[in-house]
Amino acid sequence: MVALGLTLIYGVLNQINFAHADFVTVGAFTAFFTATRFATKVLGLPDTGAYLLSMFAALGAGALLGLAVNAAVFAPLRDRGDELRPLIATIGVSVLLENAQLALFGPIPYQFDSPFARETLRIGRIFFSAQSVLVVAVSAAAIAALYGFMRFTFLGKALRAVAQDRETAGLMGINPNLLIALTIVIASALAGMAGALLGPVLVLSPFAGASVIVKAFAIVIIGGFGNMQGTILAGILVGVIEAFTVQYLGSGLIDLVVFAMLLLMLVLRPTGLIAERKEENV
Amino acid sequence: MKLALKGAILAFVCATFAVQAQEKVIRVGVLMPISGPGSYFGVMGKEGIDLALEQLKGGVNGYHLQVQYEDSACSPLQATNAVKRVLDQFRPHIVIGEECSDASLAIAPILEQAKVPQLNAGSVTMKLTESGYRYVFRIFPNAAQQSLPLAKVAYDRLGARTAVILYEKTNAGNDNADGFEKPFVAMGGKVLAKIDFGRDVNDFTAIATRIASLGRVDVLPTFALEGQQVRLAQALAQAKVVRGGGGNAVQMGSIWLPYGFDQKAGQAAEGYVRIVQFDPNEKRRIVQDFIRAFRAKYGADKVPTHINSHAYDTILLIAEAVRRGATDSESIRERFSGFKGVEVTTGRISFDPKGQNSDLSVVHFVETQKDLSWKGLDW
Repeated sequence: MVALGLTLIYGVLNQINFAHADFVTVGAFTAFFTATRFATKVLGLPDTGAYLLSMFAALGAGALLGLAVNAAVFAPLRDRGDELRPLIATIGVSVLLENAQLALFGPIPYQFDSPFARETLRIGRIFFSAQSVLVVAVSAAAIAALYGFMRFTFLGKALRAVAQDRETAGLMGINPNLLIALTIVIASALAGMAGALLGPVLVLSPFAGASVIVKAFAIVIIGGFGNMQGTILAGILVGVIEAFTVQYLGSGLIDLVVFAMLLLMLVLRPTGLIAERKEENV
Repeated sequence: MKLALKGAILAFVCATFAVQAQEKVIRVGVLMPISGPGSYFGVMGKEGIDLALEQLKGGVNGYHLQVQYEDSACSPLQATNAVKRVLDQFRPHIVIGEECSDASLAIAPILEQAKVPQLNAGSVTMKLTESGYRYVFRIFPNAAQQSLPLAKVAYDRLGARTAVILYEKTNAGNDNADGFEKPFVAMGGKVLAKIDFGRDVNDFTAIATRIASLGRVDVLPTFALEGQQVRLAQALAQAKVVRGGGGNAVQMGSIWLPYGFDQKAGQAAEGYVRIVQFDPNEKRRIVQDFIRAFRAKYGADKVPTHINSHAYDTILLIAEAVRRGATDSESIRERFSGFKGVEVTTGRISFDPKGQNSDLSVVHFVETQKDLSWKGLDW
């Protein structure tokens, strides 16, 4: 889901969002405080209900944050027609969000336990935490919903049109700025929800997102920058390779194997697993 | 009347200058991770140092301790920059830090060249006190001092014959892992696997699955920061490897792990055996006084960790050196070299010729109980 948000923004804006990791962390903290403070203590919900509610709160927080950052930073810089400044601005937003969270929540890691993290599912000698199953299920549902939205709705088609050719889409009566804002909101909402799902898996601190973002970038590059199907395929591939690396080579070699694979991909197939089709009129 | 007023002003000005002329200062540079994933060390360390300074605000032997904090981020590069900055601008008589072994190793040669003592209270790597530095002093037990008792207890007391060593891929992790492996194997034990991981790893399911497939494992010595230890303990419990999850293996830990880990890990921590240097249950008066003062300053519900107490002790030790006549870097080094059995909250400090604290009289084992409290073990 984290990689999907990254690739979505790149696909439409041709821009890498370095602040994406911090959107994940904001989502994780929103979910943590919603589940452990608001939903249980104010609303009196049971643990499961509180955690499920916290996922939607994180989704909303991510969307709102994306909307605010786009309106305050990305949109004004984009209007100046410079590609470098919005990119640098994403680094600035990342540092700002990280330090704001450090000031608000402090550096001592929080213990975020969802009721699903406490349950274990077993098939023979293989075991999963219910949280892992939930992560896969919610991610699959979110990916399916996003795919359906992009493929079958008018807004989705308009978004793809903006991704292919912003100017021509504008001439067809599509408001590119509105759709770019929508893209950022969707990607940020996905990041927020990913934060809620990963909160009970990660060591929750203001730096939590940083631990997943490097891998997310690798997945996006292996999958093919801007290509949703490629990103999904690469995500699964990297996960499987990591598990086999731990089992047969050693966990200390995970990064070596994944990034060797990334370099190999860049050399042999720079367009990624599934190349994004871009048509140009001559 | 006018003359009397002028006289009073003159007397006040003279007195002020006289006080300033007499005011003597020992400058203490503190390098701590204030940003980045290790920044909880910095927060807890600062709490301990601030408390000690507050208690010493009257000064020692006419000297005031003046502290400057610098962010070294648990990183060799940032620590190097920070120590150069503090040496240039603040001209400290002594530097406390760093917490992380890699960063501590990076600053040691710089302080050695500047002839400024480095007082370390959180790094375990052997290299820090085995590299011949004359200005390095460490109160934290080194890797051998922590891992050897773990290996002995595993083999002799727990009857362990097989082990899987889990450790972070750093100087500290490597040294602790080697420090356990060598004596354990020499005693007749077998290490089934040594599994290392980066500090960015959060999901330990695959590692736990691998351990579950290794056959009978008696002990799992683990050397990692608290956040990863929590996730590791939970994954091992879910894999039914450790006692906290209904398995047979005993997870073992070192002094790295702060008080409060058990509550964060929950039932997965049940049966966890570790060595501790600072134990809030210890009856020594200095420990109980420290806990009372800590709670009065930071909140009645707060229990200090070993990070708080180690940082607090560094200031007590500098104050003791000043009390014994130290006035500058060289005399602080000399007084430290002569320390024998100086009592602080984390034990008694006696520096050996390499600058390592050799008095481990308060280090002891504890086991996490079902209600997540500690049971002190007489090992």
